[in-house]
Amino acid sequence: MRALTVAVIFVLSIFGAQLVRIQGFDARAVAAEAESQRLTAQIIPAMRGQILSADGTVLASSEEREVVVADQTAVCTYDTGENTCAPETSAAAVLAAAQKLSPLLGTPTSTLVEQLTGTSRYRILSKNVTPLTWNTIAALGIPGIARDRRETRSERTYPQGTTTAALVGYVLDNGDPGGGVELMADKELQGTPGKQTYERGRDGTAIPAGESSITPAVDGRDVTLTINSSLQWYAQNALAQRIKETKAESGTVVIMNAKSGDLLSVASYPTFDPNGDIGRKGLQLDNKAFSDVFEPGSTAKIMTMAAALQEKTVTPLTPVVIPNRLQRYDENFKDSHEHPTEYRTVAGTLAESSNIGTILVSETLKSSTLERYFRAFGLGRTSGVGYPGESAGLLPPSDTWSGTKRATVSFGQGLSVTAIQAASVFQTIANGGVRMDPRLVESVRAADGSVQKAPASKGSRVVSTATATQVSQMLEGVVSSEGTAPEAEVPGYRIAGKTGTADRYDAKVGGYSGHTASFIGYAPADDPQIVVAVIVQDPTYPYFGGYVAGPVFKDITTYALQELKIPPTGAEPPRVQTEVDPRKALADPATLRNGVKHPKR
Amino acid sequence: MPRAADAHRPALTRAAPSGLRRWDRHDLGLYVAAGGASVVGALLVWSTTVRTAGNAYLVRHLVTAGVGLAVALLVGRAGRDRVRAVTPWVFGAGVALLLLVRTPLGTTINGSRSWIPLAAGFTLQPAELVKVGLTLALAALLAHRLDRGADPGGRDLVAAAVLVGVPTTLVVLQPDLGTALVLLALGFAVVVVGGAPRRWVALGVAFAVAVGVAAWTTPLLSDYQRARLTAFADPTADPLGAGYQTRQVRLAIGGGGLWGQGFMQGPRTQGGFVPFQLNDFVFSVAGEELGFVGAAGLLLVLAVVVVRVLVVAARAPDAFGRLVGVGVATWLAVQVVENVGMNLALLPVTGLPLPFVSYGGTSMLVSWLAVGLVDATQGERRA
Repeated sequence: MRALTVAVIFVLSIFGAQLVRIQGFDARAVAAEAESQRLTAQIIPAMRGQILSADGTVLASSEEREVVVADQTAVCTYDTGENTCAPETSAAAVLAAAQKLSPLLGTPTSTLVEQLTGTSRYRILSKNVTPLTWNTIAALGIPGIARDRRETRSERTYPQGTTTAALVGYVLDNGDPGGGVELMADKELQGTPGKQTYERGRDGTAIPAGESSITPAVDGRDVTLTINSSLQWYAQNALAQRIKETKAESGTVVIMNAKSGDLLSVASYPTFDPNGDIGRKGLQLDNKAFSDVFEPGSTAKIMTMAAALQEKTVTPLTPVVIPNRLQRYDENFKDSHEHPTEYRTVAGTLAESSNIGTILVSETLKSSTLERYFRAFGLGRTSGVGYPGESAGLLPPSDTWSGTKRATVSFGQGLSVTAIQAASVFQTIANGGVRMDPRLVESVRAADGSVQKAPASKGSRVVSTATATQVSQMLEGVVSSEGTAPEAEVPGYRIAGKTGTADRYDAKVGGYSGHTASFIGYAPADDPQIVVAVIVQDPTYPYFGGYVAGPVFKDITTYALQELKIPPTGAEPPRVQTEVDPRKALADPATLRNGVKHPKR
Repeated sequence: MPRAADAHRPALTRAAPSGLRRWDRHDLGLYVAAGGASVVGALLVWSTTVRTAGNAYLVRHLVTAGVGLAVALLVGRAGRDRVRAVTPWVFGAGVALLLLVRTPLGTTINGSRSWIPLAAGFTLQPAELVKVGLTLALAALLAHRLDRGADPGGRDLVAAAVLVGVPTTLVVLQPDLGTALVLLALGFAVVVVGGAPRRWVALGVAFAVAVGVAAWTTPLLSDYQRARLTAFADPTADPLGAGYQTRQVRLAIGGGGLWGQGFMQGPRTQGGFVPFQLNDFVFSVAGEELGFVGAAGLLLVLAVVVVRVLVVAARAPDAFGRLVGVGVATWLAVQVVENVGMNLALLPVTGLPLPFVSYGGTSMLVSWLAVGLVDATQGERRA
């Protein structure tokens, strides 16, 4: 019996020694190993900011999407009151659970039964469950149905669909921006993901009393654009309809605030559905207003006229003798229609949109002077909006202009612009000669609600107010029964504008093929509020700017004036003298005519 | 432990009023030590289960401990003669229940067919009961001869071997190797103390060694059992399989340090990393949350129980009391050693509970019953 006592004490002292070894000597290493096994980090996703129109319409927003998973070994205890599956009640329990889940997950009961039966402890039921639906599912209390927080993601939705897709852009599956405003304002939209470290129990749940630290996610900021959602919607639809009617290839409508340079609508066709199309082949995901360059044609003539008026080499009433043909180097230039020699004023030249007259006007200026004005109007450089894929257009330096190009640039061939640049030229005239940089972002709102306004555009004077007024009055003549675009007339309002029908350079052909039909104008002409540019690429015959783009301009401008509640000014348009008496013209030494040299400025 | 014994001695010798004398006979030290172990066990079980089950396990543990204490006191008051009288019935009932386990009335949990479900979610583990039966039966068998001043003869030893062999075989078939080991050790100790000749003892040891070697070298043990038996030595060999428990337990106990992580604050315990922590690995809770001080203290309390049983047995007036004491002490000691040994990665993992401490109704009741038996068999023979 003594031996037994000794044995017990001996064994216990061995145990004591082992306790000392494990808890005393190895404790630090063991504790560290234990903790590293328990500590887990989990990324808390940050929500991407919204993109809104100026009137508050949501153009893009993010929604959380939960991943709902099932532990098949637990679902079969639903409503059985047991902790483990019993073969006789499993099938009924799974069926009951499936029937409850089916309407919430949108999965047929039979499929769910299959997904809920088995021995897998992790089976994904749906990756696309809204937090609201998840709350309903969680309230059912079905054992083994859980959401996997590690997989929670934010999904981008675009409530306006195709209407704004080409402007707003899209987000790729991995959450990176793919284009448009999404890419342009990514820095603002993107949040900073947070991180949570915590100690995890054996079943994967957090230990309440364990060590933990949370770096909260900072959600992205909301970006409000200058876009008016109604105008965008209307312009996009009107454009799409006209492109289909004229069997054109593509097109764009830009609406600008004439005074501030704010972009009110940037429609582009063809467009896509950002909620489902991304990844399909053959999509055109760019915005034509920013990325597509084209030779503007006649709409560029107003820059030539404004430059000559500003340099005072001509006045609106300077007579111009316009022959049927005008030879410069190896090219015999002609106008859009055959005509006998005409005697017109400079104003009449623009109203008639005479190429020959415009060449004669441009020849009062040095090439470098003309280039300087083109660049001041915004050609040859990007708008400064920062839109992804924006083109700077093509404006070769004047010292590289060949003999014929010297003539063609004056009426808008041999140089390329974007629709934004073209609209910007008219905005400059409409705004009394002061060009405002186009602006797309109105303000940025942080997650805490603080709003940061984007700075207003800086203006730069291109021509004097007087020159701008003179050009503006000439443009009013276009939109009248005597002008080239009576289709663009808006009853009750004074409209200024210019048609453009240009040969279109086609990279596929490697030369001119098809046409660019355009109409750019503003209203009301005597107190301009909005600039509307309609560009249609490669329409079928009749491809003239007035015919193709004029009605769209009229349609959109009418709607925009109503939508923006801009009243007519009621003032009578001035009479602009367009023709001169031939004898007077020939007697006037200031008359511009072929073969008569004038000093160049 | 000597202090407890000293404190108790005057009570035995003093002439107490007749009303109190019947209570004086009880060994207070034994009850205090076993009660202390039960309370510590309740706290540890509470800590492991409070997160998942609230207070349910705490309440059940305390209820069974209370019932156990009552049973022990009743048995202690019944006295040696009545205990000796019911011995054949107890042993017979134990074996009968072991046989009943094999009928459809028994249930299989964790691969062992060891339980008989009772009403209201309670279960009975006959293997625990049979420890009591075997202790009493062996003691009665051998004391019969010893009381007349003779050493047990060959027939007695064969009878003892049968008494040990029948329940052990049934327990091995469940299979429950841990309990079988307890029955064998208990039987061996009682027979040795009961005066078996040296050569018989030597023969028994040799036989046991031979069986052990045979079991290890022949396909008598399954690969699973082999893996369980060796995993404790190197838990990293199979960290997610056979070595998982050992490794988690080691992390838990090692994390405790000197003073522990604090009650209900052990990360391993509260995180539920250790499987079967409330019964088989309850010692690791003490190691992690109460540290070296708590774990060593718990060991000391259990040692006091075992040594106290031996002290009481040594003072028993007859051979029956002595042998019962030896049997109970061996049984409790083997369970403590095996259970704490596997917690400390010194012995292979078997499913033996830590007496008084581990959660488990039958184990708790039977441990208290053992205390009652020891208590009953001490003191003067009643006239």
